Amino acid sequence: MPWPELDTAPIARLLSQIAEQPEDLADAFFERREEVELAPEGERPGLRIHREEGFAVRLMREGRSWLAARDALDGEQFAEALRQVARALPSASYPAPELRPTPPALDLAREVLDFPALVVRAVRAQHAGFALRLTVRRHRRWLQVVGPRLVPGAEQESFYSCEVETEWGRRGFLLLALDAAAAARLAAGAVALFRARHAAPPQPLHGVAVLGPEAVAVLLHEAVAHALEADLLAQGGDPAAAAGVAMGAACLDVLDDPAAAPEPVRRATDDEGLAVCRRWLLRGGVVEQPLADAAWARASPTLLPGAGRRAGRHQLPCPRSSHLELLPGEAAEADLAADGNGGLLLPEASRGSLDPLSGELSLCFPYGFRLRRRGAAEPVGACTLRGRVADLLDRVVAVGRDPRAAGAGWCAKRGQKLPVWATAPALRLEGVELAP
Amino acid sequence: MSRRGAGKDTGGAPGGEPADVTSGEAAGRAVSGDEGKAASGAALDEVLRSLLLRGLPQAEVLVKRGRSRRLEVGLGSESSLSSQERAWAVRAGTRRAAFFLAGTGDPWVAGPWPEPAGSPFELPQPAEAPPWSEPSDFGAPLIGEREGLALLGALGRDLAGELPGARLLRGVLEDGSSEGELASSRGLRARFRRRVATLFLHAAGPGRPAAAASLYLAAREARRFAPKALARRLADRLSVEATARPPAEGGGEVLLAPPVGARLLAGLLPLFVGPEAAHRLAGLRDPRGRAASERMTLIDNGRLPGGALESALDGEGVPCREVALIEGGTFRQPLLAWWQSGGAPALASGCSRRPGWRDLPRPGPTHLYVAPDPRLSVGALLGAIERGHYLIDSTGPGWFDLTGDRFSLPVCGFEVARGRASAPVGRARLAGSIGALLKGIAAVARDLAFLPLDGLIGAPTLLVTGLEVAAW
Repeated sequence: MPWPELDTAPIARLLSQIAEQPEDLADAFFERREEVELAPEGERPGLRIHREEGFAVRLMREGRSWLAARDALDGEQFAEALRQVARALPSASYPAPELRPTPPALDLAREVLDFPALVVRAVRAQHAGFALRLTVRRHRRWLQVVGPRLVPGAEQESFYSCEVETEWGRRGFLLLALDAAAAARLAAGAVALFRARHAAPPQPLHGVAVLGPEAVAVLLHEAVAHALEADLLAQGGDPAAAAGVAMGAACLDVLDDPAAAPEPVRRATDDEGLAVCRRWLLRGGVVEQPLADAAWARASPTLLPGAGRRAGRHQLPCPRSSHLELLPGEAAEADLAADGNGGLLLPEASRGSLDPLSGELSLCFPYGFRLRRRGAAEPVGACTLRGRVADLLDRVVAVGRDPRAAGAGWCAKRGQKLPVWATAPALRLEGVELAP
Repeated sequence: MSRRGAGKDTGGAPGGEPADVTSGEAAGRAVSGDEGKAASGAALDEVLRSLLLRGLPQAEVLVKRGRSRRLEVGLGSESSLSSQERAWAVRAGTRRAAFFLAGTGDPWVAGPWPEPAGSPFELPQPAEAPPWSEPSDFGAPLIGEREGLALLGALGRDLAGELPGARLLRGVLEDGSSEGELASSRGLRARFRRRVATLFLHAAGPGRPAAAASLYLAAREARRFAPKALARRLADRLSVEATARPPAEGGGEVLLAPPVGARLLAGLLPLFVGPEAAHRLAGLRDPRGRAASERMTLIDNGRLPGGALESALDGEGVPCREVALIEGGTFRQPLLAWWQSGGAPALASGCSRRPGWRDLPRPGPTHLYVAPDPRLSVGALLGAIERGHYLIDSTGPGWFDLTGDRFSLPVCGFEVARGRASAPVGRARLAGSIGALLKGIAAVARDLAFLPLDGLIGAPTLLVTGLEVAAW
């Protein structure tokens, strides 16, 4: 149990004093985090560890928010932060609750130190040999949100991230374990990049693109999740008005379900302490429930909260996805790639971006394969898929039947870097524009 | 889109830090100053002793405290965030291995210290810093909640006034200050203070789909941001984006406003920074060693008076100084940290940046800029163009192929005919060879401005020939 020292009852009582109006929202966010990093060979020093803890007190009233954050678990500082956000009686004194920090013991993450050797072995197992620089990190985070009336259970996340740098490019991966399977996955990505190193980027084409599950994860994140975040929707009008809009092909059923994420990153509540839900973003290609946090749900009663995420105590939450799922279709992977007519198979996307005002989306792929009559053939170099979100999603003609857990990667919306996860099968788009 | 603030370490603008250094032979010597500072210095010495007892003779400890205020306005919402930070970081190791450990609160006086792993590191010798007076605005109070929100509100109103129908989608003003101490097993003792404010603005123009434009700026103090001028700049960008046509193919002279020049410099940093820089630049130098136009002088200066990151010492406690990297077009030296200078220590300067306590010191520019020419105004340069373009901003990331000697940067601006800006130009790219860019600088104006990119990168308006402005 990560928060044995936290007596939440007095904290809740104090919060109820600052939430003095009926519609006020007040909460306290307690956070501990740890990152263990093994830098690439030659970078000095090799082992890097960050451990931090602290809290933030927030008051939200009529579209305005006040937040006071501290880098300590200390009762006096908590009382001071309460005074800072309280509106009615800014000079009132609040009793300091007892906070007894007992941080978890320093654990050196042996698996982080051992992983580079596993990756090198996995590359050799694929009959390839080239220089690579590997950065390996373990991320752990413990959270406890306390409200005046509600004290949800503590949450915990643990996962790994790796960056592989080769002469031909850099790739990032999010992993749930550092085992042989993870090493094989990294090695496969690096070897694919190596084998496509001399391949020329494809000429601009208008045709078929088959996206592998890893690439689909990035597509879903940009084209569905970001496009349906209440704060980004609001840039173009009322976020609630998005519900009911046909946004993609009828074969697209997309959900955000943090409770169905892989166990080490599974969540029962969001970063505001509100229960997460199995949220249908698209059902049959039609928008059902945009992503909202408590602030947007208050502004628009048709929006459901439970998707508020924050990178840390020094930031306010905002609507974000956690674990996206594309429900499987009926197509076998081989069928998706059949009759590609010179189109491309794109197993992985390196990055994506969405302009919420214009709806323009771009997805970058580090390499791909030309689709011939019998499926994937020769490799091609880096290329980009561009188009308007609704138009691109409308061009999905088939969804694969074999979903796979795929780490979509890091998302840095509004400067808040957060991991995002996905479970998705492959899919086929027709009539899309791809260019170097 | 990563925001970097000053006091708080989720931010922390890049740049050198310490501002007061003493050196001593023994690790047990406390820094002079008031009682609290002496106590803090003693705590650092205890940490160093504990590391030495643990068999880690190379050690450095940093403590940092910071405060910041972040004010944000969005669509129908506003927020006020106040953060206080207190944290520490230790680098320690043997000749074979090392670790970096950082955390919140007070430093662990007696460990437990992790087992070193991976590559070892070295620490600098203490060095005497030339005299430096801390700027008076380091002590100015952080911007208040009302004052900051009023500034953002004024910006929104001024923007709507400049361009009816335009709206501020998001404005984030962050003002922070920090102070701390650094001590090492080599006897280095340093104290530092820092003060930085940043402003991020994202706005949409009228119509649908609306054009969008962003600005990200840094200053020493939040009160230095001028809402009217910034609103006009955003409105110009939005107007150009909304009405621009792709350019007709062609060259001519090109006038590059400071944001374009700064983006180009940022893309070319590997030619000027680090031990490999001279090798990379070799192919662009003529037989006389000239790498750029004689109008170009390129400087990095961590002590730049009035600079947002002005400091006497860098993030490792090494004195900062002004270094001319290119002088009158001739390459003089790359920007090098003490451990990169090999057998030529005189080439090194204090250029190790340490944005926050979570970060290791890394060499890089602090205030790197093209020296302005105080005699030339932008108007005079514009008036002298017979046919060409005036490019006011970049609209996306650039592409720089340093080995292939090519670059391309998406830009927007105006066509220029007979000294006057005429039709707006957008969906355009400035492209050409890197050698032509450096050697084609025909004139430099006096309006030096910095952008927070990789450090603060600055350029005045530049008149350049030999480049192409083409449709994207």
